[in-house]
Order: sequence, then structure tokens, then C-alpha cells
Amino acid sequence: MRLWALVVAHADGGPVAVEHVGSAVISAAGVDAAAVAVVLDASPRETVYASDRVAVELEELTLTLGEGPGVDALADGPALVADLTAGEYQTRWPVFAPAAANAGVRAVFALPLRIGAIRLGVLALYRAEPGGLDPEQLSDALILADTMGALLLDEAGHDPSDRPRPDGSWLEHVGAQHPAVHQATGMVIVQLGVTAAVALIRLRAYAYAHDRRLREVAADVVARRLRFDPDPDGDDNDTR
Amino acid sequence: MQLADVFVEMADTLVDDFDVIDFLHVLAERCVQLLGVSAAGLLLTDQQGALQVVAASSERTRLLELFQLQTDQGPCVDCFRTGQPVSVTDLPAAGRWPRFTAAAAEVGFAAVHALPMRLRDEVIGALNLFDTDPGPVDEGRLRIGQALADVATIGLLQQRAIHRRDVLTEQLQTALNSRVLIEQAKGVLAERLQVDLADAFALLRSGARSHNRRLSDLARAIVDGTEQLPPAAAVSRPT
Repeated sequence: MRLWALVVAHADGGPVAVEHVGSAVISAAGVDAAAVAVVLDASPRETVYASDRVAVELEELTLTLGEGPGVDALADGPALVADLTAGEYQTRWPVFAPAAANAGVRAVFALPLRIGAIRLGVLALYRAEPGGLDPEQLSDALILADTMGALLLDEAGHDPSDRPRPDGSWLEHVGAQHPAVHQATGMVIVQLGVTAAVALIRLRAYAYAHDRRLREVAADVVARRLRFDPDPDGDDNDTR
Repeated sequence: MQLADVFVEMADTLVDDFDVIDFLHVLAERCVQLLGVSAAGLLLTDQQGALQVVAASSERTRLLELFQLQTDQGPCVDCFRTGQPVSVTDLPAAGRWPRFTAAAAEVGFAAVHALPMRLRDEVIGALNLFDTDPGPVDEGRLRIGQALADVATIGLLQQRAIHRRDVLTEQLQTALNSRVLIEQAKGVLAERLQVDLADAFALLRSGARSHNRRLSDLARAIVDGTEQLPPAAAVSRPT
């Protein structure tokens, strides 16, 4: 709730967007810059948010070189680099590490935005000063990365005017801690013949459109009380 | 199965490139066999400090643990919060956690023993042993249980030296994401094969076994649609 208040403060009363979560994570994690790259369903990597010029430059480096913490995080989980000039990172990313240091970045924390098999992208945090994140900063960053992931899913599935309103009720849809949500995602993959990302988007869109909790909708799917049909006349909008 | 065999099996797993969720499931099953309890489950903390069920010896244990997490009360939650073992030999007589006790009675459990999973001064989860009959578990068995909980902790940390707190966070995050992946794969199989979720999980595991695949790799391939579960695995249904 403290973090949500921070996000809402950055949104300044308007609908919450990626840049608001970005500003919140910069202040919560004590870093200088942040960027979000989306890598949905094998489409090319696309930067959807960069807080400043340094973040833009680092994202371009990652994209051009195809190496760096932002690449590894997508495959292997969080890449937390306290000092890029350390030998192990110079070996691991022989081109990226010196180039990033040259751009004035010493610490990089790349957090994957993923929900099981769904890989949405990477949230990268950049800091000029070397050093790790303290446990609370890391935990805040991970929570806000989840929020960012949920937001990206919603932007993929909704009209932009339909963005979450800053009243906190949207938090119900974030996190998706319930196994039923993931089980239902798997079932909807088969029912609609879509990818996992699209299946989850459809579940969320259905919950939103019917003003129900995601986990209740998921429980209905798992209990086989609710099916998603590939019928184009269905009452939830097509998200492909 | 003998204690020594179980430790040899666990040690063998730990040297390979193993799947952590599968490892924890095997561990939960071995707890049942070795300690003579009815069921076992493992909870881990996520980055928000909330507990998540990562492995259980049976689906009814999973449901009970979930219930406990949702109601935020119960011996396992207390064990995690205090870092101390909590032994309840007779749930109704104990008179604590009324909602949890009722839910436990519904699935037939009368006694619970919760053992902390600890890394130095940090509690990362709990191993929970459930019994259908009230009564104590002898001290020696609980010590073995604690040793198995420690093995689970080591398994989570895998082969990497954990000298930094953030590496632990990474490992926990990855383990919890694997859990999500497996739930998604269970959903795919449950729908495709029209089986229930417990059967879907059994099929996933036997499929991974018989093809010598990591559970989470096979789960990812099934969710991505790059692989179907081989029909052979769908026929030989384990218990």
C-alpha cells in the first residue's frame, strides 16, 4: 500500500501508466534511471519506457549488442550487478560492460517481467554509483516490477482510456498470487488456442469487464463453470 | 525407504542440473514415507514476505496450506513468523486457529508439525507435516524432519554460494516463478486431456521423468505449445 501510494502520487490523480511506476521504482530503489523493454511473444525487443537519456542509451546498447544484464535477466532471472567494472562482468559482457561504464553507469539491476511461461520484458534500473540494493530496495523493486508487468498486460488488452484508476481497487488484479489464476491461464490457452500471454490478458479483461475479481473468474474456469470460446461474438473483446 | 537412501537420493539430485520444484516435491513425498506422517507440504516466502505453497505430497495438503495462507492463521504461519518449530498433536484440543482447525478437519487432518526452513538468521519457509491421527511424533523423527527441511533449504540455494542476501532473493524468485509455470502447464494438460489438476501434475511429472527432462523445462514447452505430453506418459498414470 505504501508503494501503491507512491505510484499514485507520481500519476498525480490521472490513470496509472508505465512512466508512473517507473518514477516510483526509481525513488523506491534509490537509483538514477530506469527503463522497460517489452519482449512479448518473440517480437523484437522494444523500449516502451526510459526515464532519461542515459536509460535510452543503455537500452540501445542492450538492443544493438544483444548482451548485458537486460538480456540475461529475461532468460535466467534477476541480474543484479553492483559494479559493472568488476572483472566477472567485463568477461560476461565484454562489449556492454565497458560501454555502459563509459556512459556513466556503474550499477545495473535488471528484473524480468514474467509470469510463469509468460515473458513480458525487463525492467532495468541504472545507477551511477556502484553498490548493491539493500534488501528493502530490492523487495520494493520486485513488487513494482510485478505492478509493471500487470500494467503491460493491461495495455496490451485494453483501450488506453481504460487504464487502471488510482483508487487501489486495481491492486486486486495485480500479483495474481493464486494458483487458480495460472491454472486457468493454462486452460484458456487450450480453449482459445492462444499464447499464455493472450490467455491471461483475456482472463483479466473478462474480470474487468464483469467487475469481478480475477481469482474468482479463475476459480470458475478451473471448476469448469466458465469457458472461453473462440467465438468472435463473445462478450470480451478480441485482444489479438 | 531408509533414511540413508533418502539422503543419498537427495545428494545425487543436488549434484545434477536439477529442477528445484521437482526436488521439493520428492522431498515432501519422502517425508511422508520416512516420518510416518499422512502428508507434507513446503511453503516459501516471496519478495513481498507472503508465503507461497511450492510443493506438497498430495493435493489436499495443498488446499489446506492455501487455506492457511488465505486466512493468515495456522501453525505453519506461526512457525514461519517465529522461526521456531510448532507442534500441535491435537488440533481441536489445542483450541487455537479455529478456522484452520475446521478446514483441517474437513480434509481429515488432526495433527500438524511445522518446521522452519532457515538460512542462518533468516527464515525462508516452513516444512509442514500433517497427520490424520492425533498424537505426538517422537523427538527423533522430528529431528529427521528438521534435517529434511535443511536439505530443502540447501536444494533451493542450489550449487551457488549464498553469501549475499540478493542471491537468495534471486533463487526464491526463480523457484516461485517455476511454480507459476507448473500451474500454467497443469491447466493446459487438465483442459487438453480433460483430467483434474492433480492428475495433470502427476502426468507432467511422469512425462519429465520418463524423458529425463527438468520438470520446469517440460512445463514451459507445454505452455509454449512447442511440445505435447507424449501419449505414453498419459497412459501410465502413477498413483
